[in-house]
Amino acid sequence: MFKKVLIANRGEIAVRIIRACHELGLETVAVYSEADRAALHVRYADEAYLLGPPPARESYLRGDAIIDLAKCSGANAIHPGYGFLAEREDFARAVQDAGLIFIGPKPSAIAAMGDKAVARATVTAAGVAVVPGTEGEGDLTDDELITIAPKIGFPLLIKATAGGGGKGIREARTLKEMPGLILAARREAEAAFGDGNVYLEKLLLNARHIEFQILADDHGNVIHLGERECSLQRRHQKLLEESPSPLLDEELRQRMGQVACAAARSVNYLNAGTIEFLVDKEHNFYFLEMNTRLQVEHPVTELVTGIDIVKEQIPISQGQKLRYTQDDIKLNGWAIECRINAEDPFNNFLPSTGFIDQITPPSGPGVRVDSGVYPGLEISPYYDSLISKLICWGETRHDAILRMRRALEEYRILGLRTNIPFHQKIMQSHHFITGQFDTRFVEERFSMDEAEDGAESLPHIAAIMATLVAHHQTHSSSNLVRQGNRQKHGWKWAGRMERLGE
Amino acid sequence: MKYVTTIDNQSYEIEIITKNEITADGERHTVDFQSVVGPPVVSLIIDDQSYEAYVNPTEAGLEVLLRGQRYLVSVEDERQRLLREVSGTNAVRRAEIQLKSPMPGLIVAVPIEEGQQVNKGDNLVILESMKMQNEIKAPREGKVTGVRVNPGDNVDQNQVLVVIN
Repeated sequence: MFKKVLIANRGEIAVRIIRACHELGLETVAVYSEADRAALHVRYADEAYLLGPPPARESYLRGDAIIDLAKCSGANAIHPGYGFLAEREDFARAVQDAGLIFIGPKPSAIAAMGDKAVARATVTAAGVAVVPGTEGEGDLTDDELITIAPKIGFPLLIKATAGGGGKGIREARTLKEMPGLILAARREAEAAFGDGNVYLEKLLLNARHIEFQILADDHGNVIHLGERECSLQRRHQKLLEESPSPLLDEELRQRMGQVACAAARSVNYLNAGTIEFLVDKEHNFYFLEMNTRLQVEHPVTELVTGIDIVKEQIPISQGQKLRYTQDDIKLNGWAIECRINAEDPFNNFLPSTGFIDQITPPSGPGVRVDSGVYPGLEISPYYDSLISKLICWGETRHDAILRMRRALEEYRILGLRTNIPFHQKIMQSHHFITGQFDTRFVEERFSMDEAEDGAESLPHIAAIMATLVAHHQTHSSSNLVRQGNRQKHGWKWAGRMERLGE
Repeated sequence: MKYVTTIDNQSYEIEIITKNEITADGERHTVDFQSVVGPPVVSLIIDDQSYEAYVNPTEAGLEVLLRGQRYLVSVEDERQRLLREVSGTNAVRRAEIQLKSPMPGLIVAVPIEEGQQVNKGDNLVILESMKMQNEIKAPREGKVTGVRVNPGDNVDQNQVLVVIN
């Protein structure tokens, strides 16, 4: 049993992992950039080491420096969290070579699933259906891609084999636009991943994004913890997740779960991972990709299964057997997660930078907030815009939605703009409430400006509030001076009175 | 003090009589109005009903976020109303708009040219920041009179990107 874990990450996920370690009686080591000296993960950890300046490549992406710090501090293992170094085969291998434990899959599994074309070929060989598209390992020329395209059918997606985070993807609707779009996708992939290889995939219309949480040990046991519905996305970025999915029944859940486990077995998967599927209107499901790490949205699975996924990762990484079999996994109730981002839903979701002046998270029964922020924190352009994750549990989906509405209403974040109004709108949306949505819903059929039927409208209250604010603004300056300490600021006061013309 | 407050062409006549007494369209209300959490969050107890909202000043007036709904509100007192009626124009609204960068970042593309006519919502600049490509859109229609950045430029927060007239 190891004693000390270094967390190679920041923000809410670093805090989440530190919490699990402390509950297991393990010591923790935080690493941080100059922008994060006051961050919660630094303050909560037992030890903390500065990595370097704020840009990720000079701090959180410095794998060698992180491994050195792990060795110097006497840590036995490294948890990568998500993003940064989590899905870097070379980093996982270097951790092992340094005699440390990488809390995650084996480097070979990261490599096999990291190349999307190789992943498609591998799971296909294991009998798993993939989204129709090009076969093989992705090293096709432009001419070959253009020849194959009509056989796949339009519309289709041109995707980077090294892809992730929505980068290096182009949507082609006709053959004519293929050459230009292939070039653009290759260029973006080359810039983002240093690898311009692309493959083709049919664009499934009205599809839903549903993923399965996997846990696997080193003794050949692979189980799934049910599904997560992640169809509410904007530009390939998930905004809201729930478990279970309103689309699945028990029969489909079992079939998809078995296929997910088979896909994980095909790469000898170890530890926690996620198999993503696209599900079409006829409930056909296709393997999309595997994320070989802990997911942002893992808490919804934790709330319905009662399993602390991060705490399970640690014994598995030391070669212990899974504590659960598939029969032990029962889904209880419903959980929804809203990603609270620093972005303005009324202004095209533009990121909002600035300082968090005050933050009052919701609480009470069935509410969980995973957060790494604190008053005074600057949301800087160096890292992503996630402020916190708000997760609510309810006995039924209906209860979870009502609870989420209540929690969103309680949440107070001052100093910058957040997407809380977006989530409030979704919780009122007839389409969301009835489970009628797909991956294009937010972008194509949702508007912040349209009022939902039955939504509470209080324009007269808004009018009175705005009037009182305006009234106080114009009258507060003179009021303040009148009531304030004139003796102390006599000259200031005199000058002010002059300007006000009184 | 009397105000005319407008939301979506619906006007309300609101008079603030004392700290705890107002009328709205002639109807008398008892109010207790405070900033409990701190600005811009305000708390209003009106005739024993409790409400809390964000009230932010924006270019389009005061924005009220109340129970998951957004209201854009314009508030005018009698003097402001008189001034507007006397000057009779919307001169301020027609002035040029300097589109500023909402955050530091890298200019990825500028899909417009100087002299070009743009519509409200057209993409003017694509700015990469916070690991995302963000579209900076035209706040209203107009003619592009200045393009101050090129693809590849690094920009600071509040740096002028495009001028529309």
